[in-house]
Amino acid sequence: MTEPVLRIDGLTVGLPGGSDRALAVNDLSLEVFPGEILCIVGESGSGKSVLLSAIMRALPRGLGHLKGGITVDGVDLATLSERQLRRMRGNSMAMIFQEPMASLNPAIPVGRQIAEVMEIHAPTMPVAERRQRVIDLITDTNLPDPPAIARRFPHQLSGGQCQRIVIAMALAMNPKLLLADEPTTALDVTTQAQILKLVRRLCGIHGHGILFVTHDFGVVADIADRVAVMQEGRLVEIGPVDDILHRAIHPYTRRLVAAVPRFAAVARAPIDTAPSLRITGLSKFYGAVRALDGVTLEVAAGSTLAIVGESGSGKSTLAKAIIRLIEPSQGSITIGGHDFATITGSALARQRRLIQIVFQDPFGSLNPHRSVGALLVRAGVLGGLDHDAAVQQAHDLVARVGLKPEALARKPLAFSGGQRQRIGIARALAMRPSILIADESVSALDVSVQKQVLDLLAEIQRETRLTMLFITHDMRVAAQIADRILVMRRGRVVEYGVTLTVLARPSHPYTAELLAATPGQVWEQTRQPALEAGMLMGG
Amino acid sequence: MRRRMLPRLPVLFGALIVLLWVLCAVLAPWLAPFDPLHSLQPLVPPLSDAGAGRMFWLGTDMLGRDILSRLIFGARAVIVWAGFATATAYVIGIAGGLVAGFYRGHADRLLSFLANVVLSFPVLVLYILIITKVGASGFNIVLAVTFASAPAIFRIVRALALDLRERDFVLAAISQGETPLRIMVLDMLPNAAGPLIVDACLRLGYTTITIGVLGFLGLGLPPPTPDWGGMVNEGRPLAFAFPHLILFPCIAISSLMLGLSLLADGLRDGEQRPLKSTGTNLP
Amino acid sequence: MKTPILARLVEIAGTMLAVSFIVYLVLEANSGDVAVKVLGPFSTEDQRALWMHQNGYDAPFLWRYLEWLARFAVGDWGMSTHYRVPVWQLLPERLGRTAMLAGATLVVMIPVSFSLGILAGMAKGSVADRIISFFCVATTSIPEFASSVFLAAIFVFWLGVLPGASSMTSGFAIRELVLPTLVLALYSAGYLARITRASMVEVMEAPYIRAAMMRGVPPARLVLGHALRNALVAPVTVIMLQIPWLLSGVIVVEVFFAYRGFGSLLYEAGLNSDIALIEACAMISVAVVLATQFLSDLIYAWLNPRLNRKTARADAAGIPSETPAAGAAP
Repeated sequence: MTEPVLRIDGLTVGLPGGSDRALAVNDLSLEVFPGEILCIVGESGSGKSVLLSAIMRALPRGLGHLKGGITVDGVDLATLSERQLRRMRGNSMAMIFQEPMASLNPAIPVGRQIAEVMEIHAPTMPVAERRQRVIDLITDTNLPDPPAIARRFPHQLSGGQCQRIVIAMALAMNPKLLLADEPTTALDVTTQAQILKLVRRLCGIHGHGILFVTHDFGVVADIADRVAVMQEGRLVEIGPVDDILHRAIHPYTRRLVAAVPRFAAVARAPIDTAPSLRITGLSKFYGAVRALDGVTLEVAAGSTLAIVGESGSGKSTLAKAIIRLIEPSQGSITIGGHDFATITGSALARQRRLIQIVFQDPFGSLNPHRSVGALLVRAGVLGGLDHDAAVQQAHDLVARVGLKPEALARKPLAFSGGQRQRIGIARALAMRPSILIADESVSALDVSVQKQVLDLLAEIQRETRLTMLFITHDMRVAAQIADRILVMRRGRVVEYGVTLTVLARPSHPYTAELLAATPGQVWEQTRQPALEAGMLMGG
Repeated sequence: MRRRMLPRLPVLFGALIVLLWVLCAVLAPWLAPFDPLHSLQPLVPPLSDAGAGRMFWLGTDMLGRDILSRLIFGARAVIVWAGFATATAYVIGIAGGLVAGFYRGHADRLLSFLANVVLSFPVLVLYILIITKVGASGFNIVLAVTFASAPAIFRIVRALALDLRERDFVLAAISQGETPLRIMVLDMLPNAAGPLIVDACLRLGYTTITIGVLGFLGLGLPPPTPDWGGMVNEGRPLAFAFPHLILFPCIAISSLMLGLSLLADGLRDGEQRPLKSTGTNLP
Repeated sequence: MKTPILARLVEIAGTMLAVSFIVYLVLEANSGDVAVKVLGPFSTEDQRALWMHQNGYDAPFLWRYLEWLARFAVGDWGMSTHYRVPVWQLLPERLGRTAMLAGATLVVMIPVSFSLGILAGMAKGSVADRIISFFCVATTSIPEFASSVFLAAIFVFWLGVLPGASSMTSGFAIRELVLPTLVLALYSAGYLARITRASMVEVMEAPYIRAAMMRGVPPARLVLGHALRNALVAPVTVIMLQIPWLLSGVIVVEVFFAYRGFGSLLYEAGLNSDIALIEACAMISVAVVLATQFLSDLIYAWLNPRLNRKTARADAAGIPSETPAAGAAP
């Protein structure tokens, strides 16, 4: 057996007083071997990012390394001076970050930033050799025209290209240990697929040990050799990827795995009611930029349409144009047979009730200065109820979305992300709309909370025959919830059809690309048993 | 515990100074040893005996008025007029800023242009221009300060409002058909309050300085009102022989401004994060 | 890059026009007042009426404004009633003196406030940071007339090493420039240092600085090579915007030290209701402010790499799709 490149032994990191728990990382031990990828999975607040900081010996202020040893490549980090530590960082251990663009200096061409790593750690390397190595590294990450890329500034590259540069920089000194902190979370799914392939390939060639932090089980399934699951600072389970995904022992792991939406369409009865929403030729231009370009669609009353696309596809612009937060440049919107695109003033204010939206960011969508009760009662009044009826409705809605009546008196700050999203849903429902738009409403939530909110929306739709537009970047979510799927790219509709058909036989190559890029497909084929087990445990 | 207290020390110090001057302003008739307008003995140096067991702690001016009493009553004049002027400037600045930030478009362009025009004057040039025209009096100072500071406040409120206008909770209110007035007052204003309170603290200080500077230039509150800047102006010809005439009013105005600045600093640190203005509205 | 500059110039021209209207409105809307100010308070009713007629003051206000604007635009700025010479003769010398004072102030202020700001911002919350921050708050809290008094008390009254007046009656003397410069620099340096500190703190907390630290970049190189350039964008831009402040401060300082520059000229014009002179001075000061704002925009665009787009954002679609290499399979 080879020596591990990273050995953590009983690591314990303390949180500052007044936090919701005492320890960020609690008695954690693990090892990473050369040539393997160990994925650390956990929900937000599980301590996985703190773990990485501790390994780099760069804990944020207020967090204390209480006990436990960290050995990288046979060297005990605790014994090193600052100077010796600097000699290791970037040299024998390197890091890849979540926000690639932000982790590059905006004022220095990327080639020089890569060269700097060698200037620091290999000052004797001749300049010509260094220059050649920069080009080689960029070539290695499959970027086109490396000499031209080297001269660019970060803002002149895309997010995916920046992440390749960051990877090139991390590999400059051929480190034994690579730490990756959610390196694909900020990227589009097709870019993510390419970066994951790249990481896998480079790991195979150079044989470094990689500690890969992620929250996405699809990514885990695609890239991990072994998986470690963290919950509230503890390592609850560690083992080979197949065991964790299919035969997990710890109930928390099982619950997490079960909460990941299936990547397969659920068979649904076709809905052929009259369309509740009809949009024809909807366009929005910003100068020469066509953010929306002739979007036409119909949603049958009581059905769900998922609008899928990557960042910049125009899907959020579409949502805002439909509810008239952005004035469309052209096209018509008809709700329940009435025109909604051209009305203005008080007519518009009255009709707005019919179409409501739930936003993405649970922390930005509620006014922090108003109580939940005030919010819901006012929404009821604007929806046409008198004050007493609106108060009664607010009580009913709070119960409906699964919160206690005391919630009415509290302000949004008192709630968690998932609870706030429930309040957002209640506020939309308080207007008694006929159409609900969910704009990436579950993307900011942890996977288990995500499942609860999705279930809630499905229940509400069953009860009230609400028409739903579900905007998402996640094919898995779309597959789970939608009757029909619409795929957007650069402001245009490229695919529009029944979910089952779109998933099985996409008509546009871009749809096929999106489907292929969705992580965790190999796992999906063998997933069934784990799901059943998880269902039993999760309840 | 010590680490937490240490950074707060300057704030407490600032709050103490401000409190002290506010007390002086409120309790002036009871605190001042003499009538600030009454002539006693001219040009007495500090710490002189005034007879009847009383002292001229800070001496008297060339008209024989007790300087300490004038400083105490001066606090009243400066705090009342500065507070009044700052408040009116805020009312106008907030109203304009909210309207520009909420409606954007033409309303914003017009208001911003007007603000830029006023702000392109160096402040003191503007004051000289206005005071030359309307004459020096308390209300005219309020007028001039309102005219000159409202555009600066407008800019701050507008930047905050433009950012808030794009927040989801404001968009949600719009999509509910909520009235613009309620959105501006209930949704936008409370969420802009933090930075505005910090700014108000500083601006109160700037206005204090402005009143002082105008007094120093002979354009301030008309005599015999005890006004700190005016006292410096009056004492200047004799300053070489009697430095106490101008030293104490200078210390008074500097300490009040220092107190307000330290207080504003502390409030700013208490703010979690300053709001940032948004750039373009492209998706 | 070209169209924004043009748009900005048009905006500046519009602002100048609006300013000229305000200045004229404030000073000359009431033609009776103007006559009193020009002819003095002891002139008779008839004299004033005659003067108003001769000088075209019985025409409608807007017409008078347009005539005045046309004259002003071609350089006919009228007579100073106080100095009894054409306004344009007074200005160059006074402006030159003030420019010298402002220049000296900038030379003292910029290096001091940059180094203080960088020192404080490098290590937020350190002892150096706290001392510097307190010093900055203190200096910006003391109005110019008060710091003039304090500094004069120390250097003139107590130590006796510097002159208390800077009228330069016997020719140029650098000794007389010291105190006014010091007062102006002290007041502005605190503000600029605070901006520099805030900018430095923000940059030092940026993800790319942390990323560089995680690559083993040593502290000196981190500050000089990575942080400094990005941290100085904001303060360098602010230097230009300080000039309007400086222009206000100049009036106080010049009056206090009897320095015969542009500021004291404007002040005297105000005291003597010398309308033509006030108009010219106000217009010049606004022109200076607008010019510095414009310059500040240009500097910002030049310093900020993100605005300085030479190549368009590379298209992500341009990346060739990867072929899995041997050994990639788990």
